[in-house]
Amino acid sequence: MVRYHKMKGLKRKKTEGKYERDEAEQIVEEDAPESTEDEVKAEGMSGTVEERGDAGLDEFPGIPLPPSDGSKKRGVIFILENASLEVAKVGKNYELLNSDKHAHFLQRHNRNPADYRPDIAHQAILMILDSRINKSGRLKALYVRTQKDVLFEISPHVRIPRTYVRFAGVILQLLQKLSITAVGKRDKLLKTIKNPVTQYLPIDSRKIGFSHSSNKVVNIQKYVNAVSDELDLVFVVGAMAHGKIENDYVEDYISVSNYPLSAAYCISMITNAVEQKWNIL
Amino acid sequence: MGKSALSKPKKNATKTKKKSKIGPNKVEMKHKSANEAKQNPFESMWSRRKFDILGNKRKGEERRIPQARSQAIRKRKKTLQKEYEQSTKSSMFLDKRIGEQNEDLEEFEKSILRSQRERQLKFKKKKNKFNLSDGEDDEFEFGGGLSSPGRDDFEDDFPFDEDEDGIAAERGVTSSHPNTHEREGALASDLLDGPDNKPKSKKEAMAELILKSKFFKAQHAKEKEENQQLVDQLDKDFTSLVQSKAMFPLTQPNKMNALKALTNTNISIDTIKKDDVSVDQTKSASHQENHDSYDMLVSEMALDIRAKPSDRTKTPEEIAQEEKERLEQLEEERQKRMVADDDGSDEDTDDPKDDNLSTKHSRSISGDDLGDSFTVDEEKRNKLRWIDLMLQKKSEESVGEDSSASDDSDGTDDDDVEEEGSEEEEADDSDDISDEAQCLKDWEQSDDDKFNAESDDEEEQDGDGNAKLDVTKDHKQGLPTKGGQLEFLAKKAKTGGCRPQKPDELPYTIEAPKSVEEFTSLVENRSNDQIIEAIRRILTFNAINVAAENRKKIHVFYGVLLQYFAILPNKKPLNFELLNMLVKPLIEMSSQVHYFAAICARQWLLQIRTQFCGDLKDAGKRCWPSLKTLFLLRLWSMIFPCSDFRHVVMTPAILLMCEYLMRCPIKSGRDVAIGSFLCSLVLSVSKQSLKFSPEAIVFLRTMLTAALNEKNRPSLDSQLLHLMEIKSVGPLLHIQSSVEEINSLDFCSLMDMLESEDSPYFSSDSFRASVLTANIETLNGFITIYDQMNSFPEIFSPISNLLHKLVDQKYMPDALKDRMGEVARLIDTKIEEHHKLRLPLQMRKKKILPIKLYEPKFVEEGYVKGRDYDPDRERAEQKKLKKLLKQEAKGARRELRKDNHFLFQVKQNQKDLENEERVEKYGKARAFLQEQEHAFKSGQLGKNRKRRR
Repeated sequence: MVRYHKMKGLKRKKTEGKYERDEAEQIVEEDAPESTEDEVKAEGMSGTVEERGDAGLDEFPGIPLPPSDGSKKRGVIFILENASLEVAKVGKNYELLNSDKHAHFLQRHNRNPADYRPDIAHQAILMILDSRINKSGRLKALYVRTQKDVLFEISPHVRIPRTYVRFAGVILQLLQKLSITAVGKRDKLLKTIKNPVTQYLPIDSRKIGFSHSSNKVVNIQKYVNAVSDELDLVFVVGAMAHGKIENDYVEDYISVSNYPLSAAYCISMITNAVEQKWNIL
Repeated sequence: MGKSALSKPKKNATKTKKKSKIGPNKVEMKHKSANEAKQNPFESMWSRRKFDILGNKRKGEERRIPQARSQAIRKRKKTLQKEYEQSTKSSMFLDKRIGEQNEDLEEFEKSILRSQRERQLKFKKKKNKFNLSDGEDDEFEFGGGLSSPGRDDFEDDFPFDEDEDGIAAERGVTSSHPNTHEREGALASDLLDGPDNKPKSKKEAMAELILKSKFFKAQHAKEKEENQQLVDQLDKDFTSLVQSKAMFPLTQPNKMNALKALTNTNISIDTIKKDDVSVDQTKSASHQENHDSYDMLVSEMALDIRAKPSDRTKTPEEIAQEEKERLEQLEEERQKRMVADDDGSDEDTDDPKDDNLSTKHSRSISGDDLGDSFTVDEEKRNKLRWIDLMLQKKSEESVGEDSSASDDSDGTDDDDVEEEGSEEEEADDSDDISDEAQCLKDWEQSDDDKFNAESDDEEEQDGDGNAKLDVTKDHKQGLPTKGGQLEFLAKKAKTGGCRPQKPDELPYTIEAPKSVEEFTSLVENRSNDQIIEAIRRILTFNAINVAAENRKKIHVFYGVLLQYFAILPNKKPLNFELLNMLVKPLIEMSSQVHYFAAICARQWLLQIRTQFCGDLKDAGKRCWPSLKTLFLLRLWSMIFPCSDFRHVVMTPAILLMCEYLMRCPIKSGRDVAIGSFLCSLVLSVSKQSLKFSPEAIVFLRTMLTAALNEKNRPSLDSQLLHLMEIKSVGPLLHIQSSVEEINSLDFCSLMDMLESEDSPYFSSDSFRASVLTANIETLNGFITIYDQMNSFPEIFSPISNLLHKLVDQKYMPDALKDRMGEVARLIDTKIEEHHKLRLPLQMRKKKILPIKLYEPKFVEEGYVKGRDYDPDRERAEQKKLKKLLKQEAKGARRELRKDNHFLFQVKQNQKDLENEERVEKYGKARAFLQEQEHAFKSGQLGKNRKRRR
């Protein structure tokens, strides 16, 4: 049930347990005015002013209040697979391996420098965190799994450094220290977590994998629109230079374009489609 | 058996250790392979692999925790269990047999080792066959498990034996040392003898070593010293050789210097003197080289022209002082002239240029002339001047009489003024905005210009004849209307010098007048220029900068001048020119005494306001402001800043103006004129500050309504506009007949007319047209000012309607029509713009905020795990130590716990064992007893005894 008018009176006190709320809500609607008025008298002038303002608003029949946001909203989860984020000891220091900077080092250790592309993951993460989905708070979580099977979670509230060097610093510290806190707070913004990622995904969610190799080429907008509103969306995108993602938990592999796309662009397509669907402007 | 085993000396063990190094690999390998077989399968398990980091050495991964655990148990068995077992014992069993200490060895290997050792000793024995046997040799004779019973206790008395093997090599070294060194002290000799005589302890050996090294050091030092002495000797010899000049002829003088410089370091004071001489020589030589350039430079600098010090910039005070002094001097000269007029020597002193010229002239003439200082021309000129002065005086008097007698005679004057006014109005028309302030300033500026270049202007204007008649000139022309001769003379005087010769000469130093009467008496019968000059002189003479007490004088004088300014408009005819000229000194003075000026202005305003209130109560009285008030208001608007939000003078002044506009009833054309002027004044005042004055707008609207036809007029009686009642006025400005020409209004002339209450001019259509034009211009100004106001459409849309109506009216002059149409269109376009910008009322939206973002905390470069990134070093250090301590404590605790467990286990085992034994014993005993019992009961006891055995 969606109420189109704001509830009158002051907020209910939080002392009541959550379980009461559902039953209490309907009762409150009827008896709220009387009880609140008493409270208002006790509260003093400021309270009365507010009350009057509300009453004044209600007197105009033609101006409806915008519907308040329902707390039950479906979100989006992104999983970046195969991100090439690897720390190595180069010389005396630990560094995030990078095809440009460590080509010789990688060759010496019989690795293919072309596989070490942390910038892809960086771009993809930035693209996800910059999206309107995230700004509106609909991004539930962002998981990144590296090529070495390290899984870490990135909080939607983190401001990831926009320059590569600083990003490398963050990831380097994350992979060694296993978590990164906010400045001046104890909240963990990034933290490594245990595999597998499926244990963190909500049950009623649709897991969609993206692969150019898939035969199912779809219009992402239509595809997203077709997904039921009752489901959370989990998008699994590869953040590597070559290869494809293969996970058993992915329900549906789709390809959004006839062309091979970069991870960042693919993500921007996805986010745009979801924003369109949910009408986030 | 234990005792015999103990008898094995410890050195055997050490020897075996050494031996074991011979073939450790093989032995160990063998041992390992044997070990591998009985390895615990759990021990082979690798407990954990570390995360693979490229480029990182994988150390610590070979550790297997189950293995480590069993190892620890084994270790405990060897140490803790032994100790535990030993704890109840008073003596200890020490096995010192060869190979017995090494657990890796097997029995067979041990025996091999032992036999090897035996053989070695035997070989050694052959070498010193006839020596008395050492204890160890004896030992090995009995080796191989045998023991001499006496040896055991004897062992401790030979502490050296243990080290003997170790020292053996050392001993070889010492013997290899050459014996060439001298030895001092008994110890050294002892050392040398030592090896043969008796074995040495480690301590002794070390002492020997130290001694030796000391000896070497001493030797070294000695040698070095000797070398040094030799070198010194050589140096001395060399210097003496150099001093003796035996070498002088051999070497060149220059090289000599070098040599000496070399030797200098060693030569003491007595030689320095000689050196000095030589150094001097070299110096002089070098001087001669440098000499020229330096000297040249010096001479050049001497010849250079010195910079002359200029006067420093003068302070304003000094300038004022100088000015004052100059005036005093001039006054003095003037006084002198007045006393001795006919003295030829100081003629024309007030005109320095002329004076100069004339003196030159006279000198040149005097050269020709025969000492006669007077020439005819000069005399004439002199005389003429005096006549001139007299005449001018007369003329002024006559003018004064004229002005007082009749107004009409100055009609020409007024016309001129009017003309000028019209000029200004036209200029304003050409600009879009009627700017009164600018007008006045323009007037002023033009005055100044004319003052500076009067002659030019005059000639020009003479040429023009009608258009650009300057008022100053008018005045001066007006004076000599009585006589052409006078005019000529005046002109001549003017062209003659830059400062016109005054008829009644002004004193140069004038004390500041204390009252208006004083001032009026001073300026009475003087021309405008003279008045201004007088004021200027007063100000210079009493400059505030010069003396402190002058401030008071100036204060008084300011008040006087203001009063004079206020009085002037009351005079007939209106001396508008003078008013204009007075503005400049007034403004200047106000900036000097701004505080006093503000007080004065406020007082005046208060007075005016009280008067106004009184007038309002009196119904019959005319309450519109007088000319004086208008001029004062205008003056203040120029003196004080209009752009201030709140100003002590301007805010009340504006309020007063608006009050006039609002409260005064409009009854006649005169009122309309004054109101229009006030409107334009309000416009000029609020131009910068963009203050909204609804009174002015309402007045303008009223004026426009007044111009409407009677029938077109809306019912205004009850209409409210901006909460103000619009005064219903008759069709004062309704143009009833066609007007050929719209003349711009000249306010001053109008004012003159105003005095005569209801002149027919006010009811004339031309007046109406011109008033309307002026009002439309003012309105235009307001429109441009209030352009940005949000309520612009509401304010101006009724006016635009009115204008449209007016345009349609009959008899409206074309020019006026056009203008009105323009303004109306301007209003309409602006209104439209505003309407476009206006948005419909919207629901208040809550601004959607994006989710909050947090900065991750991380090290910018090269994070290393485990390093403390605390900026406070000491704290980090402390933390590290604490961590270490904690770790150690934890380890120790763990070890202790494990020890405990282990001990408990051991005890438990023992207990179990004892228990078992006990049970067994008990069982045995019981069995025996049972047997006995059985035998007893069965009656066998004593009987088949033999058989039973």
